[in-house]
Amino acid sequence: MRPYQVATAAIFLLIAAVAMFDTRSGALPTSAAGVPGGLRGGWYPFWSGAVVAVAAIVVGAQTLRRPDTEPGVFKDRGAVLYLAKFILPMIVTTYLMSDKLLGFYVATAAYVAYYAGLVARYRWYWAVLAGIAIPLVIYLVFEVAFKALLPKSVFYPTTPF
Amino acid sequence: MDVLGSLAGGFATALQANNVLFLLAGCILGLIIGVLPGLGGTSGVAILLPISVYIARDNSATTAIIFLAGIYWGALFGGVVTSILFNIPGEPWAVALLFDGYPLAKRKGKPGVALASSFMASWVGALFATILLTFLAKELADVALRFGPAELFAVFVLSFATLIGLGAESPMKAVMMVAFGLLLAAIGFDTITGEPRLAFGQISLLSGIGFVPVTIGLFGIGEIIASADEAGIGYVEKIAARVGLKDILETFAALRKRIWLVIANGVIGFFFGSLPGHGATAGSFLGYGLARQWARNKEDFGKGEISGIMAPQAAADASAVGSLVPMLALGVPGSPTSAVMMAGLFIWGLQPGPLLFIDHPDFVWGLMASIYLGHLLTFLICLTAVPLLAMIMRAPHGILTPFIVIISVIGAYSLNNDMKDVAITIVFGIIGYWLRKMKYPLAPLVVALVLGDSTERELRKALIGSQGEWSVFFVSPISAILIALAVVLLALPLIGQLRRRGTAQA
Repeated sequence: MRPYQVATAAIFLLIAAVAMFDTRSGALPTSAAGVPGGLRGGWYPFWSGAVVAVAAIVVGAQTLRRPDTEPGVFKDRGAVLYLAKFILPMIVTTYLMSDKLLGFYVATAAYVAYYAGLVARYRWYWAVLAGIAIPLVIYLVFEVAFKALLPKSVFYPTTPF
Repeated sequence: MDVLGSLAGGFATALQANNVLFLLAGCILGLIIGVLPGLGGTSGVAILLPISVYIARDNSATTAIIFLAGIYWGALFGGVVTSILFNIPGEPWAVALLFDGYPLAKRKGKPGVALASSFMASWVGALFATILLTFLAKELADVALRFGPAELFAVFVLSFATLIGLGAESPMKAVMMVAFGLLLAAIGFDTITGEPRLAFGQISLLSGIGFVPVTIGLFGIGEIIASADEAGIGYVEKIAARVGLKDILETFAALRKRIWLVIANGVIGFFFGSLPGHGATAGSFLGYGLARQWARNKEDFGKGEISGIMAPQAAADASAVGSLVPMLALGVPGSPTSAVMMAGLFIWGLQPGPLLFIDHPDFVWGLMASIYLGHLLTFLICLTAVPLLAMIMRAPHGILTPFIVIISVIGAYSLNNDMKDVAITIVFGIIGYWLRKMKYPLAPLVVALVLGDSTERELRKALIGSQGEWSVFFVSPISAILIALAVVLLALPLIGQLRRRGTAQA
């Protein structure tokens, strides 16, 4: 657990450092005329970033000082693999949802069928059925009942979705 | 207008057909969300928030808040069903129910009594809390109306201090999350000077990062990844459960013996919940602790003692009701779930805070009346529909998981019809999963994100008014007291640490 904790704190420290660098011009109150209250726009984010930085350093230091009681973050390699099988397709799906690509409905159908068939290992016909049923239900609820438009594919209006 | 008159008006609003319908829909959805492990009340409200936008468009903001609040109440009741029957908490606030609920159902063979006890205690606790809410929220709002920027800033500081000082496992991580939330909220144009901040030349960042996509990501996607990671729900032992008339009568007799315990926990839970940032979860542990402390039969706890079910459940529900007090009266969320509801208010075009009582009395009192109705409704559904609720547990995860992902994506997209928000949701989903894994508290992050802009605005308004003199926060007695309280709260973890070190050496 310890290396992961330290790395997480380090990432926050990095984020804080970037934010503080970006807003450094407003860090200190100024007596220049025309600045309300003498505070520029960067003042508040600069000091919020500073608090993140200090807290990240303390958390990192605390982690290093205390004994590492918990073993790894993941149960085993299977858990990592499972996460990859879950997260990566999710990212790809949302990318494909754009109206310049597959659109929402086709991407959803593919994602649901993929998850049910290949991750949860349902029989293929159940996976296909779920892949058709879920976009259909979403279409009825959102497009028909709530009149909310979701992105269609690049082939629309040749195809209805 | 006096409180009772306003409340009567509220009931007239809440009893309109569409409001009752959406309250019922909210409660049922909440029950389902509550029963499903891996999907909490906060995520449920976050995922369904965009739907509430359509409800607000077609009906009114009052209908939308009644719907969202209904989900909260439903989830409060539903989370305990799986705790009691399967020894699996459906919600974080149902963990305290494992200690005595499951033993009563399993070892003593009284699942019906265990369930009925928790439902009845929920309802009675919430009833007393709602009565307190009805009479106190307006008073607090009247006081808050006189607050200037310095006092408001002090209220926000106190909110962050309670999040850090009370209950956080690692106070430093909570500090980090609060500051990170403030930082995220600051992205985009500065509203006072108009300068762009932290946009790094990206036009899409100038309008800032939306609170809703971030919350849907942290709670919806983040939670579903985390529960997929823990997988292993697998084997579920089946306890046949129905709540029969005999169970209800037995429970009623048990409740009469413990009525003062339940009411006391309701009242304490209410006040605890009205502290910013602490909702039902902390409330239920507090309730369990108190019941054990006061009991003469301490050895029965953990073996299926009914007080061990009723007390935490009364306190949990009362805390949830209490968490609406700061939202309505001060514009400060009382729990992560009410932080998400508050985001809804912003989207529907309402400004949470004391002015609600003046500008939108129908909204405030309609909501209050719907709390009475919602709890009664949920209570009745629960007593009759336990077998159905237990069946939800068997919903196929292979389809449910991608479905929740898709619903979250729709939610993020439909707010502005913008794929950028979907990207934010996915990114914060992964961040939320990782922060959970690393044991960072998410409540401070969400509360800071939703309060970030107001905190900055009030702080700078106060400083502009005082020509940059910080003494402005100590001149007003109210803000001085609030800030002093915040300092004490922030010092609590430090004192605790020193004391532990002292006893370790002794």
